[in-house]
Amino acid sequence: MKKLFLAAAAASLLAVTGASAQTKVGVLLPYSGTYAALGNEITLGFNMALEEAGRSGEFELVREDTEAKPPVGLAKARKLVLEDEVDVIMGLVSSGVLGAVRDFVDGAEVPLIVANAGNDEATGENCSPYISRVSFSNRQVSGPMGEWLAEQGVKTAYTLAPDYAAGHQMVEAFTQKFTEGGGEVVGGEFTPFGQTSDFGPYLTNAKSSGAEALFVFYAGGEAISFVKQYGSFDLKEDLPLYGSGFVTSPLYVAAEGDAAVGVIAALHYVPTVDNEINNAFVETYKAAQNKAPSEFTIQGYDAAKALMAAVDSGASDRASIAKALRGLKFDSPRGAVEIDAATNNIVHDVYIYETVKEGDGLTQKILGTIKAVRDEPHGCQLD
Amino acid sequence: MFHQTPARSIVLVLALVALALYAIYGGYFAREIVVEIAILAILAISIDVVAGFGGMVSLCHGAILGVSAYTYGILTAKLGYPTLPSAVAAIGAAAVFGTIVGWITARTTGIYFIMATLAFGQMAYTVIFKSRWLGGDDGMGGLPRFDLDWAGISMNKSLPFALYALLLVLLCYVAAAWVMRSAFGRTLCGIHSNEPRMRAIGVSTVIHRARAMGFSGLLAGVAGIIAGQHIQYISPELLFWTVSGEALIVVILGGLGTLIGPMIGAIAFVLLKHELSGHTDHWHIVVGLVLIATVLAGGRGLYGQIEHWMTRRKARGAARNA
Amino acid sequence: MDAGFWVLQFLNALQYSMLLFLLSIGLTVIFGLLHFVNLAHGALYMMGAYLGISAAALTGSYWGAFVLAPLGVTLIGAVLYFTLIDRLRGAGPMNQVLVTFGLIFVFLDIARLGWGDIALGLDAPAAMSGTSHLLGVAYPTYRLFIIALGALVMAVLWIILSRTQIGAMIRASVENGDMAAAMGINVGRLFFAVFCVGCALAGLAGVVAAPVFSATTGMGISILIPTLIVVVIGGLGSLQGAIVGSLIVGFIETVGAAFLPSFAAVASYLLLAAILVLRPQGLIPARGA
Repeated sequence: MKKLFLAAAAASLLAVTGASAQTKVGVLLPYSGTYAALGNEITLGFNMALEEAGRSGEFELVREDTEAKPPVGLAKARKLVLEDEVDVIMGLVSSGVLGAVRDFVDGAEVPLIVANAGNDEATGENCSPYISRVSFSNRQVSGPMGEWLAEQGVKTAYTLAPDYAAGHQMVEAFTQKFTEGGGEVVGGEFTPFGQTSDFGPYLTNAKSSGAEALFVFYAGGEAISFVKQYGSFDLKEDLPLYGSGFVTSPLYVAAEGDAAVGVIAALHYVPTVDNEINNAFVETYKAAQNKAPSEFTIQGYDAAKALMAAVDSGASDRASIAKALRGLKFDSPRGAVEIDAATNNIVHDVYIYETVKEGDGLTQKILGTIKAVRDEPHGCQLD
Repeated sequence: MFHQTPARSIVLVLALVALALYAIYGGYFAREIVVEIAILAILAISIDVVAGFGGMVSLCHGAILGVSAYTYGILTAKLGYPTLPSAVAAIGAAAVFGTIVGWITARTTGIYFIMATLAFGQMAYTVIFKSRWLGGDDGMGGLPRFDLDWAGISMNKSLPFALYALLLVLLCYVAAAWVMRSAFGRTLCGIHSNEPRMRAIGVSTVIHRARAMGFSGLLAGVAGIIAGQHIQYISPELLFWTVSGEALIVVILGGLGTLIGPMIGAIAFVLLKHELSGHTDHWHIVVGLVLIATVLAGGRGLYGQIEHWMTRRKARGAARNA
Repeated sequence: MDAGFWVLQFLNALQYSMLLFLLSIGLTVIFGLLHFVNLAHGALYMMGAYLGISAAALTGSYWGAFVLAPLGVTLIGAVLYFTLIDRLRGAGPMNQVLVTFGLIFVFLDIARLGWGDIALGLDAPAAMSGTSHLLGVAYPTYRLFIIALGALVMAVLWIILSRTQIGAMIRASVENGDMAAAMGINVGRLFFAVFCVGCALAGLAGVVAAPVFSATTGMGISILIPTLIVVVIGGLGSLQGAIVGSLIVGFIETVGAAFLPSFAAVASYLLLAAILVLRPQGLIPARGA
């Protein structure tokens, strides 16, 4: 009750001081637990975009913590929709939470701008006209790696990923593109998600498989542990490491140290992407935060940009916002992007980059770009 | 020994009425909180039965709740069976799981019992966590609520569901109180206070403790059904040992061995947690300190402390009148 | 799968066992001696890792962390001892479980407040960051260091416990605390000393593990279960039990991870349950336990 009153008071205050009709945004991200850092970074990017455009007053933000747990995420989503009556929800780091809220959001007809969760099915067989994704789909950041690796003439690969939906999807997409390109995945394992700290046994298995390359997907703390342990086993010559970009994400690659040097990964954004918008973006970010931005920053940033564009086109309520997001084209620091009208998933360039040393730190050197990666519908029927 | 004192009955009725009124007039969020309290209260009552009366501190009750929720999920969401029989089966499965764990661990006591329940709870967690069919780490959705449309009640609305949850709390409390007052309950207390003596008079402590865990499991199973139907989405975390730990905190916070204490503890804990997380992302530290303070203050918990003062006053009064 | 593969997996298992040993020996002696269930032992391990990272940043060297982290954790342990542990020694397992569970929560947020939510890394000393050639394979030198350290600690503790007077006093107090006190052993002071050593070992395990596993706020909880399993399987209060237990659990987990990941996860729990039911005092119990 108290919260409702305070929210109403705040809203009316802002309405008096600022814009005409405010858009109420439910920010649904993990603010505690293993993914808290990602949640905070996405929020940072989102607010950055609003402040840059001077339009923070137009949007009333209601923050809720998903704790990256599906039931908690769903409970908070229901609260945002049924109690706070938000016009749009932005967020979701975990694919598990996305899977949990999908039916609710679709049924309640509330637009959801996905700012991270890469679950392929959310813009595939489980797509919804209300779920738009500005981040990436798991396929988009793993398939291109398989394609590129096969093009480089690599014949055999071994895969490692954590044992949950995202891990399986990444490996599947990589395997598909790699075999299409003429390669062969000679073996692989799924490690207990969130519970593996010692990758030694798995690295040993990978080595003994005799594969030419090692493809992995790990994010967050697991990525740091994995890359460091990989480095300690001195496998860089015998078994070079390739991955879906999160394995050396700018957000935490510094913690990986020298072990990350030489690792090649595929990601939809790195701070070294060379275009006008990104150069300005990186400068602003570095001045404020004293470090380079990451793909999580950009995802929050683009979510705000997409929302502002939708509102600018006249959308003011749930249905119109959802409609306006679909098919939206705009310029992001990562390049020109589009929310595919066929799947509501983002279409963007994917960069193949290598982590290299620069002075005292690490940076990303772009080796190749796969332009306008667009997911096939995979069973999505939006109309 | 358990007595349903007038004080306890009054507190029970007051608490349930207060929660019901809060649900009716408090709006959406109030109803969600009431359901959360209900689930936690029933789980805490189930733990109080074995820990408060039987002296068996169990860290697997979260897992028992999870077994019920997942059985319900499998039967309804995966296999499409009707809801009521599935719920009954799920509660039964929880009772069976509790009985088996109780039977295997019946000979262990103290820290060994705690560790054994931890082991079994974690085993159940791991099995479910690893199962792709059950959704693994991502969980399982699509759990249906009971269909009372024929009576004109829509369970999909939050108010009827909240009141239904409170009704189940009442039923579970009454069931627990009834069992604890019966010969079975008194025997359990006897085993707790002096096991060799009970064995000497011919009580099979192993079977008794197994049955106690089974009954406790049944109650936890009811909590599991509500949990599954509430968000209509479950994930393996329900079975992790820290869930049992949190429920134990609730029991202590409220008052161990009183049956009404867990209810008070659940209300206090859920309200505290929500109040805190509205102000800070770091509510763990506050809960931890509150728990430590409670234990150091005598471990009687909120209701237990009140009862303690009441009995002291009565004793002083009696001494004065004597 | 050649011989090299088996050697590598053997070394992996040994290294993990050593880490478990460093943690479990502290916990088992605390339990055996003080009859105190310390669920917060994992949290102390976590603090060791975080304090180590800060110490390394401060001193610019891993060895600074190696020395300062265990000291820091011992200090924390001493504070805990005087404020909580001493008061709860006779309180029964439930209250001890509850209080130490509360401590887990408290330390979790302390770590988050002090070091943030992103996982932090610690670099192994430059001399050890490569691989060494041993038994025909190239194995990370730092992991060999962990194995050597574990073995050293094992040997030192063995000697202390079996050959020195203080060791005899400890063993006596484990076997029969009242009798030991009656014989004039200052049991209270001994308990405090042992508790501090247990904390120091937990802190050491944390700073030693940090370069391999990196420091996260969840690490205290995730390492707690394997440690408890080791302690119970091995036998509460016994050094040999901790050695045997950590080897068994370390090897099961590693072999499982290498060959049967699904089974491995359940295997340790099955073993724990079996021991608790069939031989609750553990494989090599301390006498009189």
